[in-house]
Amino acid sequence: MDLALQALPAFLAGARDTVIYCVTAFPLALVLGLVLALMRNARTVWLHGPARIFIEVIRGTPILVQLYILYYALGAILAQYHLANMINAWSAGIAALALNYAAYEAEIFRAGLASVEQGQTEAAYSLGLSRAQNFFRIVLPQAIPLMIPPFVNDFIFMIKDSAIVSLVSGTDLTSILSFWVTRHGSNPLPLYALAIVLYLAMSLPTSFVARKLEARVRASLQF
Amino acid sequence: MQKHAILKGLRPAPQRHGWRTAFDALFYVVAAVAALAFGIYLLSYQNILFLYFPAFLQGMLVTLVVSLISTVFACLIGLLGAFGALSSFRPVRWLTVTYVEVVRGTPFLVQLLLWYYGFGLALANLGFHPDRIAFDIMTVLQNNSLVPDSFNSYFYGIMALSFHYGAYLTEVFRAGIRAVPSGQTEAALSLGLDARQTMRHIVLPQAIKLVIPPLANNFIGLVQDSSLLSAVSVLELEHITLALGAPQTDANAKLFVFIFGALFYLIICYPLSLLTRRMEAKQHH
Repeated sequence: MDLALQALPAFLAGARDTVIYCVTAFPLALVLGLVLALMRNARTVWLHGPARIFIEVIRGTPILVQLYILYYALGAILAQYHLANMINAWSAGIAALALNYAAYEAEIFRAGLASVEQGQTEAAYSLGLSRAQNFFRIVLPQAIPLMIPPFVNDFIFMIKDSAIVSLVSGTDLTSILSFWVTRHGSNPLPLYALAIVLYLAMSLPTSFVARKLEARVRASLQF
Repeated sequence: MQKHAILKGLRPAPQRHGWRTAFDALFYVVAAVAALAFGIYLLSYQNILFLYFPAFLQGMLVTLVVSLISTVFACLIGLLGAFGALSSFRPVRWLTVTYVEVVRGTPFLVQLLLWYYGFGLALANLGFHPDRIAFDIMTVLQNNSLVPDSFNSYFYGIMALSFHYGAYLTEVFRAGIRAVPSGQTEAALSLGLDARQTMRHIVLPQAIKLVIPPLANNFIGLVQDSSLLSAVSVLELEHITLALGAPQTDANAKLFVFIFGALFYLIICYPLSLLTRRMEAKQHH
């Protein structure tokens, strides 16, 4: 208990860094995911082909592999061009999280956009709206409420997945945990308990919100 | 005729122009060229490729074996957890809910480190050494050279994977059992089967069919998460990739080794995910 109290400030700083990783990477993943989803829905294979390949490759490989490629391999490549300081745990971690989650968000976007009835689009066109207006004013606003619960769910997954940056010398909660465990190797259990409590403090309220939102969406769909 | 024209005006129909088809066809040409270029890229590092291929293959084998063993244990835990979650005895239900929520609310990496460094150390202090037990058993069977050097890593790694995915599979099995219509249970009970027989012969066989696609999805996730076992020195694919890739002095060769390692994961996961999606599509129609 003493040890846990002693470690608390450092662990809180780690939790803050975990949140920073996720809050930075998730919007990037959303934007990239929307672009991928639109590309995937495009008629020409020049757009939906590359999007499909990207999504399949990202979903077919572990996020740790992607992080290592960015951190070690891309870092070495960039070092050749004297850009070595561009790749660190922050940039590689955020990039890996954003790229990985973009592939998953794209699928959510696609499912959400597909759930808006075709009749809405037809009505919009018949009222003289342009394709862009139809997408941003008619389709997307109707799709977003359906997509929020899975997005929140994925955000929780991202909080958990951001732990991998501890394997490339990050500063998130798990990195702090490993650091303290190495220093207090004989009595690590309180440290693990503290880290687990902090992670639960981040994920459980979020998952509660997700469940509430989901119930609300379900209720509003039944008319 | 006119009506048709109006409808056509309403819905922007896919109008296939000749040039557009040709433009699309060009993509496949470019894609084929890109695939060829990728093949040439792989072959341009053939000295590394042939030298490291056996090690990568071995790593993939370890990944697969570890994943399969963990899946079996995770299924057992998940089934037990599902019965616990559906149990009418309240403390059992609370225990299951706590297990599921705690495991699903914390990163797998933390759980893995907890098993290996935390519980591993605590159990070792109590006199439990999995490697020694395995060695003794294999000595009796006259095969103790089969016990890997870091057996504890494998043991606790598999424990962590099983416990983590056990929680996810608890939810999967619970949903599967719930999805079997209650009329089936009622019919079985009214035909004179007892509760256990109903579960065993009526509900479970139907639930398993529903559960197979999410189970396959979780297996893909498990294979991918097993890459984290490299953090506790299990010699699986990602550990091999890092061990062979990180010391490369040439940056391009380094990139090649990491990409080569990723390809092995793709070879495992992509066919599985295609299969899963096909099964899902079949179930929905």
